[in-house]
Amino acid sequence: MKQLQRHLGPETLPLIAVLVLIIAVFSFASPRFLTGANFGSMASQLPVLGLLTLAMLVPILSGGLNLAIVFQANLSGLTLAWILIAFGGVEAGYGAFALGVVAAIIVGALSGLIMGLVIAYVGAHPILVSLAMMIFLRGVGEFLTRGGDVSGFPDFMNTIGYGTLLGIPVPLIIFLAAAILWHIMLKRTRHGFSVYMIGSNIKAAEYSGIPTKRTLTLIYTISGAICAVAGIVMAAQFNSVRVGHGEALLLVTVLACFLGGIDPFGGFGRVLPVVIALVILQVLSSGLNLLGANQFLSIAVWGLFLIGVMALRWLVSWLARTRKWGIM
Amino acid sequence: MKAFKTFATGIAMSAAMAMTTAAETTSMGVVVKIGGIPWFNAMEEGIKERAAELGVEAEMIGPTSADPALQVRAIEDLIAKGVDIIGVVPNDEAALEPVLAKARAAGIKVIAHEGPGLQNVDWNFELASSDGFGEAHARLLAEKIDGPGKYAVYVGSLTVPLHNAWADAAIAYMQENHPEIELVGERYGVAESVDDSRSTALDLIAAHPDLKGFLAFGSQGPIGAGRAVEERRKGGEIHVLGPFSPGQGRAMLKDGVISGGYMWNPAEAGRVFVTLGHMLANGEEITEGTEIEGLGVVSPDVETRNIITDNLLEINTDTVDELAAKGL
Repeated sequence: MKQLQRHLGPETLPLIAVLVLIIAVFSFASPRFLTGANFGSMASQLPVLGLLTLAMLVPILSGGLNLAIVFQANLSGLTLAWILIAFGGVEAGYGAFALGVVAAIIVGALSGLIMGLVIAYVGAHPILVSLAMMIFLRGVGEFLTRGGDVSGFPDFMNTIGYGTLLGIPVPLIIFLAAAILWHIMLKRTRHGFSVYMIGSNIKAAEYSGIPTKRTLTLIYTISGAICAVAGIVMAAQFNSVRVGHGEALLLVTVLACFLGGIDPFGGFGRVLPVVIALVILQVLSSGLNLLGANQFLSIAVWGLFLIGVMALRWLVSWLARTRKWGIM
Repeated sequence: MKAFKTFATGIAMSAAMAMTTAAETTSMGVVVKIGGIPWFNAMEEGIKERAAELGVEAEMIGPTSADPALQVRAIEDLIAKGVDIIGVVPNDEAALEPVLAKARAAGIKVIAHEGPGLQNVDWNFELASSDGFGEAHARLLAEKIDGPGKYAVYVGSLTVPLHNAWADAAIAYMQENHPEIELVGERYGVAESVDDSRSTALDLIAAHPDLKGFLAFGSQGPIGAGRAVEERRKGGEIHVLGPFSPGQGRAMLKDGVISGGYMWNPAEAGRVFVTLGHMLANGEEITEGTEIEGLGVVSPDVETRNIITDNLLEINTDTVDELAAKGL
């Protein structure tokens, strides 16, 4: 048990317990909760939010924030859409799609790179820089599309949005692959180590010889690239791209990160608890929808949940401290 | 750990209070653009009222922001819930096509309102034809301004096709019949938000001293523009026209800062959703000359799946009290 706890991190087991409990209560409350249809629905709703959360996760770990994620995703999606349309729209082939995906990821990464460079070399605060980037990308996108949507994609795009592979929705596979990649990146690579060090204390990291500027630039570049993946999945699920699609998800990604135990000041946190936190949020939202609850009630429950988790974490650490003193 | 459980149970219990019982009756879910605004509150009342009359189970889902991504999520959950009928008032038609296709593939009938371009629907119904509605407003505007001047046009969003169709019809009518009244700028996509409508109106009034009128298509547009006119004390000089919720705008209409407009009854639209859903669930065909309560005798366009009628209500100082008393 201790071994498992150490392996998964202190956040994971309590979150799993909460998840199991919520699922149990919803299955009791609604006969339709424990059905394939409901799990299929949740599985196709989760990935876009999940990919955007991964884009938010690493900047937060480094002590920053990326407010531009949704519009980076939109603009990358637009890039893909324009390339598909240039190659015949509905008739576009796989080659055009591959080219579009590469171009979309380049656009996403480039927008991230610019943010990273400004944050690292100018020293501006990430909130300001990403806010500026968000406004810039939104303006450019609205200007280029005149606020309209771009649609008319080949049929195989639908497979990415709603297809299944071995019974698992394709977007979910993309998300899980990205999450595993993120875990490996953070725990097994030099870059991941630098991210944690920068998040804990950027000055100390710099004096210990960690290339902080290069790492910060890379953090935002990678964040931009995963936004592009989210943008591609969104384009496939909505069969269209418009600036502003998914705007409401921005703050939910921050919520998921904090619920998953990422330290808001950076330096501490893991991918797995964040993924579980995402599942909890999705289960709460779908479950309440199944019960026919008001949408505003479900975001109220989300907020309440975050407050509860924070209070509980404080309580646990307080108990641990007083117990230690008691022994002494 | 124990506290965690107690907390989660508490939340789930509060959710379970909203529990609905599964039954054999026809069930229906209507996803609207956004929840918690008077227009859709009235629609919800209409839905509930008609559902009680016909003995069907119907609920309205109002997302917390006008983001198509949230509508897609809500429809996914309705499919999982296994409703017989899905109704939708789309924010963005193209973004909903794949999920509506999924709903129809699952054997669910789909009814839309204010979505004339949707492909994956059984029927889309309108309580006002776009040309008739736009022209009626333009005629009223010309009558109120009565002389040369300038006017501005608002739409809910640049991607709401219906608002833009009204704007097209109104602008065309003005150009043809009243060339002395000139259009300012392009149309502004702000009319789903009171604040955006107000600030845009303040800017426009400052920029154009000879501005004489606003045509605001979108439920919050006239209210916002009316507030700006009130702040600048231009009541009677600048005429704000457009469809709005009478209860919300009654005082402003009586103060003369909103000059009037036409509307259709959102509660009636809610009733028609349920009536039409009930007919489709019972396998009734809708053909030329079918009489539908709330729509009258209809002549549906089988090709585009549209049922378009003209059930306009004029909002002026004489009718507003009566309309507001109906809860609008």
